[in-house]
Amino acid sequence: MLRQDINELLTRTGPGTPMGELFRQYWMPACLAEELPEDGCPPIRLKLLSERLVAFRDSYGRYGLIDEFCAHRGASLWFGRNEEGGLRCPYHGWKYDTTGQCVEVPSEADNSSFAENVKLTSYPLVKIGDVLWTYMGDPATQPPLPEFEFALTPPEHHYTSKRWQQSNWLQAFEGGIDSSHVTFLHSGGLKSDPLFKGAKGNQYNLNDKKPFFEVADSDGGLFVGARRNAEEGSYYWRITPWVMPSFTMVPPRGDHPIHGHFWIPIDDENCWAYSFDYHPMRPLTEAERQAMIDGHGVHSKNIPGTYRPEANMDNDYLMNREKQRTGEWYSGVEGIAIQDSSLQESMGPIVDRTKERLVPADSGIIKARQKLYRAAVGLRDKGVTPPGVDPAHHHVRSAAVVLPQKEAFLDAARDDVRVRPGVPISSV
Amino acid sequence: MAVETHTLSSCARAATAEEARYRIDRPIAPSRAGRVVALDAGAAEVLRRTAQQEWAHARFYVCGPAGSGTEDVVLHTIDGGPATLADELASASVVVMVATSDAGAGCAYTLGKACWERGIQTAGLVLGDGTQAGTAASSAVAALRPHARVLLPSADEVDVVDLLSALRV
Repeated sequence: MLRQDINELLTRTGPGTPMGELFRQYWMPACLAEELPEDGCPPIRLKLLSERLVAFRDSYGRYGLIDEFCAHRGASLWFGRNEEGGLRCPYHGWKYDTTGQCVEVPSEADNSSFAENVKLTSYPLVKIGDVLWTYMGDPATQPPLPEFEFALTPPEHHYTSKRWQQSNWLQAFEGGIDSSHVTFLHSGGLKSDPLFKGAKGNQYNLNDKKPFFEVADSDGGLFVGARRNAEEGSYYWRITPWVMPSFTMVPPRGDHPIHGHFWIPIDDENCWAYSFDYHPMRPLTEAERQAMIDGHGVHSKNIPGTYRPEANMDNDYLMNREKQRTGEWYSGVEGIAIQDSSLQESMGPIVDRTKERLVPADSGIIKARQKLYRAAVGLRDKGVTPPGVDPAHHHVRSAAVVLPQKEAFLDAARDDVRVRPGVPISSV
Repeated sequence: MAVETHTLSSCARAATAEEARYRIDRPIAPSRAGRVVALDAGAAEVLRRTAQQEWAHARFYVCGPAGSGTEDVVLHTIDGGPATLADELASASVVVMVATSDAGAGCAYTLGKACWERGIQTAGLVLGDGTQAGTAASSAVAALRPHARVLLPSADEVDVVDLLSALRV
């Protein structure tokens, strides 16, 4: 269980809230680069951390993320015309550049300086990999750009998708560090999903349904180790890194691409689940990329033209009781991503954690909440920079390794859980 | 002409904040009869402070070896009173072991074995950085690893309180 006041603190991310201020210390995904595919393309509406924004790519290829509403009368700039060097409100013609600076007010005299004094809130928007990243905090403390390995590999080595999840960010994120649900909820996928099946490690997973857990601090967050019996005298370890505030990686399986997530608050009752796959050593195969596009692995099949999954709460996630009965889909819902979102959304928009009955196996979640709380309060009360801001904290990998029983998992796998350029992921 | 109606699915209806108001709101009884055991002197100091807080069903103990050449252990309450391992485990649903060094390795083994035989869930917290080889904490981690279903190898005193609070002991 969690005290109500702490639950409120951790789940509210709007401007001025402690958790909102914490998120505003980090670079985070604002949208996918594919949403602004070319210079001068239509702008898109975004809501991030409860702020309504418009993202656009001007005629010179510059990205901008600005207040959605025109400074004049408050019309939405999503209706704007993406003209040369800026976005023009179609209502009275006010035009803004990618920094939010108003550059033209047609009703003013030709030599008027009025526009110079009009500037919308704006945030930087930078393309790294498939993602456009933003930083919504104080410009004076803007950290260096993110250095997550998935985004820095060559384009043919990675794939990123996103889906709208109708729940608070925290209950979505908590699924990312909750290793114990995989054995049940996703058990069908270990046998059939083209991006999971065939790995030797899957058999360890399926043979030992009562893993032991170890939760250890890292510079940027945590490492959660799940330990299962392997051959005589050895353990199979699946190690999940979490980098604050909401980056997680799933331990790999065989030579399949490695994957993970970012959970980004849209507002307090909705979030984006960004899901990525990459292979540090080779390009994704056509079959792998197509499987990702088709919603396999950690990705979802979305309604065309949107980022809403086809299986969603309005259609009961296309529940199939027959597949549930046979165990092909353990919960009756198809696909890893929707298996997670269906249950996390079923908790309600913001789950009441005062009513939980946690067990020791939830220690990763307990520890993550504690670290988020400490970081938010430390930032609020003492201005302490939280873990995960420093790009050096981003250089982590998940790992799946077999170790002698006497070895401490982080001691033995310290190299396996850090990015080593040119070295394959550690996977079984 | 028929008017098209839009009927929400049961999931969409049930997951709204409005519907959440109607969830059964009954007080939750403490779900765990927790036994919290210090495995060495450093851990005992921490548990003396932790025990000052208000707990529902948690009881706090210090464990020590019964003597050389035996696997038996002696249990004391945190204020020095006598306690019997078998009696204390009879009503326990979770045992949380706390260590700062490997001095309590023998106790961890005996407690872990006893819990395993009785189907009692176990958790271990090692205070200090047990992820660094060669430290006292790492020795404690090695001692606890076979016996704790969940292990926090780099815990601090707040982790003890937070874990016990989260478990509602």
